[in-house]
Amino acid sequence: MVPSARTPLRTDRLRAVNEPRAVTVELNESGRMTVGRPDGQTVGQVEAILESWRIDDEWWRQTISRSYLELLLAGGKRIVVFQDLLTGLWFMQLP
Amino acid sequence: MSRRPTSSLAACVWIPLFSLRCEEARHEGLATYPTALLAPDTTRKLWQVSSLARHAGVKPGMTVSQAIGLCSSLRLIEPDPVHYDERFANLLSALNEVSPVVEAAELGLVYLGTDGLEGIFGAPEQIVAAIRRTVGRSDGRTVRLGYGLGKFVAWVAATRSKPDEAIIVPVGCEKAFLASQPISVLPLDSDIHRRLRHLGIRTLGALAAIPEAAITAQFGAVGKRLWRLAAGRIAEPVAGRIAPEAIVAALTFFTPVGERELLVHSLDKLIGRALKHPRRIGWRVHAVRLRADLECGDVGAPTNRSWLVTVLLKDPTADGERIAAPLKTRLEQSPPTGAVERLVLEFTAFAPGTTELQLFARDAQAAARAGQQRALQSAAREIRMRVKRSSLYHIIEVQPWSRLPERRYALIDYEP
Repeated sequence: MVPSARTPLRTDRLRAVNEPRAVTVELNESGRMTVGRPDGQTVGQVEAILESWRIDDEWWRQTISRSYLELLLAGGKRIVVFQDLLTGLWFMQLP
Repeated sequence: MSRRPTSSLAACVWIPLFSLRCEEARHEGLATYPTALLAPDTTRKLWQVSSLARHAGVKPGMTVSQAIGLCSSLRLIEPDPVHYDERFANLLSALNEVSPVVEAAELGLVYLGTDGLEGIFGAPEQIVAAIRRTVGRSDGRTVRLGYGLGKFVAWVAATRSKPDEAIIVPVGCEKAFLASQPISVLPLDSDIHRRLRHLGIRTLGALAAIPEAAITAQFGAVGKRLWRLAAGRIAEPVAGRIAPEAIVAALTFFTPVGERELLVHSLDKLIGRALKHPRRIGWRVHAVRLRADLECGDVGAPTNRSWLVTVLLKDPTADGERIAAPLKTRLEQSPPTGAVERLVLEFTAFAPGTTELQLFARDAQAAARAGQQRALQSAAREIRMRVKRSSLYHIIEVQPWSRLPERRYALIDYEP
């Protein structure tokens, strides 16, 4: 799981915007990446990796280590996913 | 052209954190929590902070993330400037009953001219008591009162007074009163404040003890003014505002009109015309009179028949619909008893406003924004009634510079 990146807040007052949403990223037999939702629905097949970057932060509190990928999906849609390098889980997020 | 009424004796009415107090009055129990009001501009920083929040280290000007980091139970409130203006206009109207010379300095800070009031109320103590009664009736918040010769002395007295306890500076004792006050009561910028402290000047008495020429040489015209204030040489009078004369808009019908729809339509037109009158700019309408000259009936019927409705608006306003609403109700409940030949609308009393209010009234777009705000508030209330929870949010910046996207913005409940 992604560690909570926020100071504990009362949920009735502030709500985070653009929180990461869990996705699955799989490689099929032909070596192509597919992004899917936890319920099994497919988000899309990856045509190209447009950009990649890494964020390492908050080592003094609860380490955050993410590897981001901007992907071009079949059909032309662009999405940003990241892998939580501490847990290995994948998430989708707006840049 | 008539001159603005002035008064050398002044009473200062100061309600610190006025906007926050308005929110506390509106939301029961809010005063028991650490609270902060967000700035009305786009910076999304804290504007006013309650004493409980201050104890937790929260200060005005902080970002939301800094404040939440210091005080996780902090309650953040979106500002509602229109509401604060309305409450302040009510306060000014109430104070106008005590003195005709009322000068609004800023939200929560008002000067009253008290020259001649001793003939009505008696000694300064009685005048102050009358002001306190009036403020208490209009606004039950913690108020600080100062009384003295000129606005500066009254202001300093108010800042030094304890809540609900006035300080009265007798005429002739200004210099002695001011001497012990800290220089921070002077209207000076942080640079001059720092320089004065470096020179070892910490009280107004210490400042006044230096020759005026020396201060002028160091700080120029600003220094001269500061010295004269500190020495009690300046007694700036309270400058009231002249209430505008009644504004009249009339409509004569070619043929007498008896249909209510047409009268209502004509009323809307008259209100629109009267609101556009140049004399109305900067004022909110407080009292409205609508009269109609009625058609003379059959031969032998009494002549000069008329119909009159007078409405005192609870909340002075410059909004046409709000002015029209009570008049339309009266038109509905007790319509004219005959066909109307001439319809006359008069704005007979006005509520003075703050500088912000004047700008507000001057700016038609701002008036439109206020209308939108009211509409939004009404819609939000309706949604909450239907879905039993708040479904409207504002987006606020929390850490816009953060590398983590979910940290940058947050949603806050929109509470009308």
